[in-house]
Amino acid sequence: MKRLRPLILILVALAAWEVAARSGRWSKIVFPSLEAIGKEFIGFFSRADAWEQIWTSLYRAFGGFGLAAAAGVLLGMIMGRSKLVAEMLDPLFSGTYAVPKLALFPIFIFVFGIGSLSKVALIFLECLYPIVIMTYHGAKSVNPVWLWSAQNMGAGRWQILRRVVIPATTPYIFAGFRVAVPVAMIVVVITEMISSADGLGYLVIYSLSSLRTDRMLAVVVIIAIIGYLLDKGLVLARNRLIYWEKLDTYYV
Amino acid sequence: MALLVVWQLASLRGLPDYVLSPIDIGRHFIAALGTSELYIDAGASLMRAIPGFVIGTVLGVALGLAAGIWKSFDEMLSPLVFLSYPVPKIVMLPVFMLWFGIGDLSKVLIIALACFYPSFINAFYGARATPRILVWSARNMGASQAQIFGRVVLPGALPLIFAGMRVSLALSFIVMFATEMINARSGLGYLIRQAENGLRFDLMYVALLAIAILGYAGDRLLRYSREKLLPWEGGHA
Repeated sequence: MKRLRPLILILVALAAWEVAARSGRWSKIVFPSLEAIGKEFIGFFSRADAWEQIWTSLYRAFGGFGLAAAAGVLLGMIMGRSKLVAEMLDPLFSGTYAVPKLALFPIFIFVFGIGSLSKVALIFLECLYPIVIMTYHGAKSVNPVWLWSAQNMGAGRWQILRRVVIPATTPYIFAGFRVAVPVAMIVVVITEMISSADGLGYLVIYSLSSLRTDRMLAVVVIIAIIGYLLDKGLVLARNRLIYWEKLDTYYV
Repeated sequence: MALLVVWQLASLRGLPDYVLSPIDIGRHFIAALGTSELYIDAGASLMRAIPGFVIGTVLGVALGLAAGIWKSFDEMLSPLVFLSYPVPKIVMLPVFMLWFGIGDLSKVLIIALACFYPSFINAFYGARATPRILVWSARNMGASQAQIFGRVVLPGALPLIFAGMRVSLALSFIVMFATEMINARSGLGYLIRQAENGLRFDLMYVALLAIAILGYAGDRLLRYSREKLLPWEGGHA
């Protein structure tokens, strides 16, 4: 019984959904039954372009995230090791941190066109903040005793960076990545909902406009599964790479 | 600052019409402050973001603290929360539109949903991380359950709760803006959409600047109250 406890609330929620769907009080459009959603979910993968749509969304999310990861880690490292650069860039990043970058999307459409480029650019911008801030924080707080001992033992600047600073910062970098990956998913879905002709976000809006709620919810489930798997993959990669410091995997 | 100067200098040399110079943006913004249009839309946006933020963070912090304290509650609720945490909540907007209509209610609820997660998770970890020794010593000195919560658990969890609220605030603005761009008849997101369709670039930048100022002001307010409430934590967030 005790081991089943985590499942109780999930099962109750699903049962409540099914009861509401079958009660007939609400139209099928408002509350499609789990059966209909399941059918659409399976049906989605028999579509000719199913993988293409998934790939389109993933490609945008990964493109933006990858660029942000490369640029963000580099910038954060430089900011963490050089006081001058930090004093110049830190006000820029912390000042505009709370500003929703999504507001720039209409302008990005004009600058980069309505294709993938404007979406990738926006995802890059949104992902850049958490990565830069966490990397900066990590590179700044490297234990000075380690730096001194490395110096004492005759390590060069390059060796100190590679053997001391980078390993010590990696946990922080991954913490930034874990914030950035869901952000990339959110932004890709939003931008595809606002302006797009392909991708999963577009399918959600398109199914809604055709009043195929069951199909829409099937796509929502697919997006949810992708988001969940990406997060799990990231945690797995982190624990492999940073084998000396396990994440508090109580739940997360 | 240097960025602004470079931008202004670049604009003197001629730019495409969709990039305005900072001085032009400032002029348009001041002109817009004189009209009522901007206030109405900014008010409409805040009427969605603030209730959503308050509902989401209050529920998130309360349930998160409860899950952090009571083991059985934690075992029931946490798997559901952590399972759905990496899922982009904005995909629920169309579903909410069906259930709660296309008006403000569905927008407020989706903002609340997005704000719930960071608040819950931070409050949960904050309460769980309370050092056992502090709880034991409080109990030894005869503190009641309520006293232990009010004097030991809550102050210990507050720094993390504020960190969660800061993320929630930024999220509430993003989600507010997204919902308004997808479907709304008022608000700053709608204003930007309208300006985009009408090729009114000046209006677009004005709305952008207004959102930036509101987001920045909200963040400052949160930091200020954090410093007042947590004097022992120091100023930096």
